[in-house]
Amino acid sequence: MRLDIDTYKEIADSLLRNKRRSLLTGFGVFWGLFMLLFLIGGGAGLKDLLSKTFSGFATNSMIVVEGQTTKPYKGLKEGRWWDIDYRDVERLKMMVPELDVVCPMISTWGSSVVYGAQTSSAGIKGVEASYKEVETVNLKYGRYINEVDVAQERKVCVIGKRIYNELFPEGGDPCGKYIEVGAVQLRIVGVDFNSGMMSINGQASQSLVMPITLAAKLYHRGSKVDLLCLTGKKGVKMSSLEPRLRSVMGRQHLFDPTDKPAMMVLNTEQIFSIVDNLFRGLNFLIWLVGLGTLLAGAIGVSNIMMVTVKERTVEIGIRRAIGALPQEILMQIILESVSLTIIAGSFGIVFATFMLRALELIAKSTFQIGFWTAVAAMLLLAVLGVVAGLAPALRAMHVKPVDAMRDE
Amino acid sequence: MQIELHNVHKTYEGAQPLHVLKGVNLSIEKGEFVSIMGASGSGKSTLLNILGILDNYDEGEYFVDGQLIKNLSERSAARYRNKMLGFVFQSFNLISFKTAVENVELPLFYQGVGRKRRHDMAMEYLERLGLKEWAGHYPNEMSGGQKQRVAIARALITHPQIILADEPTGALDSKTSVEVMELLGQLNREEKVTIIVVTHESGVANCTNRIIHIKDGVIGNIEENSRHNASAFGTTTVMK
Ligand SMILES: Nc1ncnc2c1ncn2[C@@H]1O[C@H](COP(=O)(O)OP(=O)(O)OP(=O)(O)O)[C@@H](O)[C@H]1O
Ligand SMILES: [Mg+2]
Repeated sequence: MRLDIDTYKEIADSLLRNKRRSLLTGFGVFWGLFMLLFLIGGGAGLKDLLSKTFSGFATNSMIVVEGQTTKPYKGLKEGRWWDIDYRDVERLKMMVPELDVVCPMISTWGSSVVYGAQTSSAGIKGVEASYKEVETVNLKYGRYINEVDVAQERKVCVIGKRIYNELFPEGGDPCGKYIEVGAVQLRIVGVDFNSGMMSINGQASQSLVMPITLAAKLYHRGSKVDLLCLTGKKGVKMSSLEPRLRSVMGRQHLFDPTDKPAMMVLNTEQIFSIVDNLFRGLNFLIWLVGLGTLLAGAIGVSNIMMVTVKERTVEIGIRRAIGALPQEILMQIILESVSLTIIAGSFGIVFATFMLRALELIAKSTFQIGFWTAVAAMLLLAVLGVVAGLAPALRAMHVKPVDAMRDE
Repeated sequence: MQIELHNVHKTYEGAQPLHVLKGVNLSIEKGEFVSIMGASGSGKSTLLNILGILDNYDEGEYFVDGQLIKNLSERSAARYRNKMLGFVFQSFNLISFKTAVENVELPLFYQGVGRKRRHDMAMEYLERLGLKEWAGHYPNEMSGGQKQRVAIARALITHPQIILADEPTGALDSKTSVEVMELLGQLNREEKVTIIVVTHESGVANCTNRIIHIKDGVIGNIEENSRHNASAFGTTTVMK
C-alpha cells in the first residue's frame, strides 16, 4: 500500500462522505476515552486529596493508651485503672528491640495562649524530641523541641499554624518571642505548618508543643504520661509486636496481657491498609467502567464499519477489478477505522484534560493525568482502531471483483 | 492465439446448482474486434467475467498468450487485471464520490504510479475522449455517454491488450451507442487492442468484425462480419 496523500485523501473522503454517521460513531470512542481518563485522573486526585489528609503521620506507628481492666489478674479485681509511666519508655525500648521510637506524651486540652493583645486556644502536647519521627513536622520558622530542651526543662514551645496566624496576624518570624500559657511565659522556638488532618490529640495546627519534662512539671503529672507513641524499625510489621507489648506492659502494671480493654493499642498501619484497599477497589472500578465504555465505543466503530463495508461492496469490487490487491483493501478499511478512533479519541483526551483542569481549579488539588498516560491512551486507541477495523476489513477483503458487476 | 478456451465449464452453486457454461471452446486472436451475442441468461456475462479473470471456472482450460489462467493467486490475478485487461460495464461502475479524473487515475494508483504523473496521464486520456472540461465533475453530474467514456478512459489508461465490455451501450440511447461503438472500433484499429463486446443488440454486434453466438451454455455459430452487414435492421444504424 502506497502511503501517499491520496491514501489519506481516500480515508478522509470515506469518513466525510457520511459525516453524521462518522460523528456518532466517533462519539462512542470519544466518550469512552474521556470517561477512562477522567476517572483515572479523578481517582488519582481523590487519593492525593486523602493522602494529604493522612500525610504528616508515620505509616508504621502505634499508639498505646492506658485503659480499665476487665479481667481479674494475680489477685487484683477487674475494673482497675493503671497509669503509663515515664519509665515504660526505657523498658519498652529494651524489651522490644524492633521498636525505633518510643515517645511519651502528656497533653491537655483548650489552654488559652496570649501574646500581647492577641489570644488563641491550643492543645498542649508535652513530648520528647523524637516526636517528630511520629508526626511529620513542617517547620516554617525556627526549629523543633530538642533533647537539651527536654533534659533542661526549658520553657520553650513550637506552635501550630492556626495559633501562629491568630497570635501574629501581621506575620513574620515569631521565634524568640514570649507567649503566655496559663501562668508561665514560653519562648517560641519554632512554627509548625504541618496541615495534615491526622494527628494525636488534636490537629497540629492547633497544637502547642513543649518539652515533656516541662509539661509534667506545669501540670503536676509526676512520672505519669498519657500515652506512648511507637514506631517500628524498617520492615517491622507493627501489628505483630502487639502481643509482646501487652505482655511487657501487663507484667509491669499487673493486668492480664489478653485483657484487650486494659490497654488500648491504635495501629496506623491498619488505617492505612484500609484506605489502601479502598483505593485498590476504586481503581479496579475505574478501569472496569472506563475500559468498558471505551470498548463499547470500539464495538460501535466495528459495527458501523461493517455496515459501511456492506454498502461499499460495489465500490470495493470495482477497485479489485481494476487491480487492487486484497491486502490493499484490508489496509484501507483498517486505516479508516484507526483514523476514526484516533481522531475521536484525541478529542476525548483533550476534553478529559480540560475537565480535569476545571476540577483542579475547583477542588484545589492535582487531578491531571500524566503525559505518559495520554501517550498510552493514544497507543490504546491505535490498537483499538486496528481491532475494531479487523472484522470489517476481513469482510471487505473477501469481496470478489464479480461482486461489483451485480447491480443489486 | 491470444485467447483460448478449451471445454470451459461453470456451475453456480446454490440451493439449485446452475450449470451455465457447458464446455465452451473459443479462440480470439490478437487485435480482433468481436462481439458475443445470446439470449438473456445464456451466460454471456459469466463468460466475460471468466475472460476478465473476475471469476473462476470449474473445468477446462483458459489461456491468455499461452499462459494457463487457472487457480491464480490473488496477487497475480490482480496484476493481470491491472496490466493486461481493461473493463467497461453496462452500469459504468464509476466510483460515485470520485471525480472523473480521479476515477481514471485509480488503476495507476494501484500500479504505484506517482501522484502527478497519473494525474497528467488521466487528463491526457480524458482529453482524447473529449472530456477535458468534465474532469472535475462527479459521475452523477454527467450523462450516460459521458460516464461510459470516462469508464473507457479508465480502461485504457493502463494500456491493456484486451478490453472487455459487458453491454457497454446497454444504458445509452442509440446515438450515444453509435459514438461509443465507433470509439471502440477506432481504438481497435489504431491501437490494435483486442476488444470483446457482450451485447444482445444486433446493431451493436454489427459494428464488430466477428459475432460469436452463445446458446445453451455452448458456442453456437460464429459469423464473420468484416463487411458489417449482419444486422437484420440495416447496416447504417444501431437499432435499439
Ligand atoms: N453469482 C451467481 N450466482 C448464481 N447464479 C448466477 C450468478 N450469476 C449469474 N447467475 C445465473 O447464471 C445465468 C447466466 O447469467 P449471465 O449473467 O451470464 O447471463 P447473461 O447472458 O449475461 O444475461 P443478460 O443478457 O441478462 O445479462 C443466469 O440464469 C443467472 O441467473
Ligand atoms: Mg449479462
